[in-house]
Amino acid sequence: MLLEIKNLHATVGGKEILKGIDLSIGEGEIHAVMGPNGAGKSTLGAVLTGRPGYEVTEGTVLFRGKDLLAMAPEERAWAGLFLSFQYPIEIPGVTITAFLKAAVNAKRKANGEEEMKTSDFLKLMKEKMAFVQMKPEFAKREVNVGFSGGEKKRNEIFQMALLDPMLSILDETDSGLDVDALKIVADGVNALRSPQKSAIIVTHYHKLLEYVQPDFVHVLKAGRIVKTGGRELIDAIETKGFDQF
Amino acid sequence: MGHGKYIAPPKGEYQVQAGEKLELSFVVLPGESRDITYTVDLMGPGAEAQIKGLYLCRADEKVNIRILMHHRAPDCHSTQLINGIAGGQADVHFAGTIVVAPDAQQTEAFQENHNIVLTETAKVDTKPQLEIYADDVKCSHGATVGQLNEDELFYMRSRGIPEAEARTLQMLSFLSPVIPEGREAEIEAAVRSL
Repeated sequence: MLLEIKNLHATVGGKEILKGIDLSIGEGEIHAVMGPNGAGKSTLGAVLTGRPGYEVTEGTVLFRGKDLLAMAPEERAWAGLFLSFQYPIEIPGVTITAFLKAAVNAKRKANGEEEMKTSDFLKLMKEKMAFVQMKPEFAKREVNVGFSGGEKKRNEIFQMALLDPMLSILDETDSGLDVDALKIVADGVNALRSPQKSAIIVTHYHKLLEYVQPDFVHVLKAGRIVKTGGRELIDAIETKGFDQF
Repeated sequence: MGHGKYIAPPKGEYQVQAGEKLELSFVVLPGESRDITYTVDLMGPGAEAQIKGLYLCRADEKVNIRILMHHRAPDCHSTQLINGIAGGQADVHFAGTIVVAPDAQQTEAFQENHNIVLTETAKVDTKPQLEIYADDVKCSHGATVGQLNEDELFYMRSRGIPEAEARTLQMLSFLSPVIPEGREAEIEAAVRSL
C-alpha cells in the first residue's frame, strides 16, 4: 500500500472537520475524492501534507509504510508526496528557478545525492515547462506573483512534473480552468501515471474526470467517506448531486 | 570606529548642493549595537539624496536609526529605504523625519521602513514623520512591522525546501532591495546566522 489512512480525525481552529476517514491508495492507482463544499476535501490534503493550523486528533496515516503524521512537511515531500494547491501561494522576491532548484537539491541532499548541476537543472526545467506549455520566461518570474488563476494552476502541474512524486494530491486543480488549461492539467496527470505512481484528485466537479480516468471514486461528506465505487458514481453525482448519499 | 567598511559612517551631517547627488548605504550586522544618525539638508534645486540601510539582530543588540531629511530648496528628490530583521531580544528604534520647507515646491520625498520580527522578545519601534510646509509636493512614507509569512514557508516546505532554508529565502528576498552591491554573500551568511 502506498497510503493507508485509518480513522483520521482532524480539527481546524478547534472545530472537527475530518470525522473518521478511512482510505487506502495502492501503487499505480488514481482515486477521485468528490464532495460538496465544506465536506473536508481541502482539509484532507492539508492534513496529509502537514499544514500548520490543522490538528490531527485521532487516527493513523502510513505513507510507504512510514508514519506520515510524524514527518515534517519537507520530509513528506522527500518521501514522494506532492500537493497541488487549490490556492497556490505567491512568494514575492523568489524566482521560480531559485525556488525549484532549492526544492530539487534539498530532496537530493536528503537522499544522500549530490546537488544537480545548474545546466542539468535548467534543461530539466525547460523540458517540463514545455510539457505544460508554460513560456520559458516564467522561469525568471517571482513564484505565482501576478499570475492569472490558470497560470497558477499550470505552475502547480509544472512543479508536479518536475518533482516527480509517488503520490500527487490535486486539490481542486480543475476549478476556474478553461477547457484548454484543463487538458494540460489532465495530460500532466496522465503522463505521471505509472505502475508505481498514484494520485488523489479532489474535486466537486466531474469535468477533469472526463480526461483522467479514475480507478476509484469516493464521496466525502461531512468529514467521512460515505460511498466508494467506480466511474458510475461520477454519473450518479452528475445527475442527482450529493444529497443522495 | 570600525564602521569604515560599511560605506557610510554611523553619524553624519550632509549638505547637498544644487544638482548634486548623495548616496548613503549602511549595514548593521548581527552582534553590533549601533546609533545611526543622519541629517541631510537638500540645499539647492535639483539636489538628490538616497539612503538605503539594513540591520540584522539576533541577540540583545540595540539599534537606533534616526534620519532627518530636510528639503530646503525646490525640485529636490529623496528616497529612504530601511529594512531589517530583529531576533533574540533585540531593541530597534527607527525615527525618520522628512521636512519640506515652505518654498521647496516640486519636492519628491519617499521613505519606507520595513521590519520583520523573529521572536516574541524582540522589539521594533518605528516612527515615520512628515512635516510639509509646501503645497506642490509628492511625499509618501510607509512603515511595517511583521513576521515571516507562514503560508509562504509552508508552500516552500511542501515542495521539499527545509524550514531553515525557506526562512532564509524569504528573509533574503525581503532584504534584497537594500543589500549593497557586492555584499550579497556576506549578508546571506549573516542571515543564515540569525
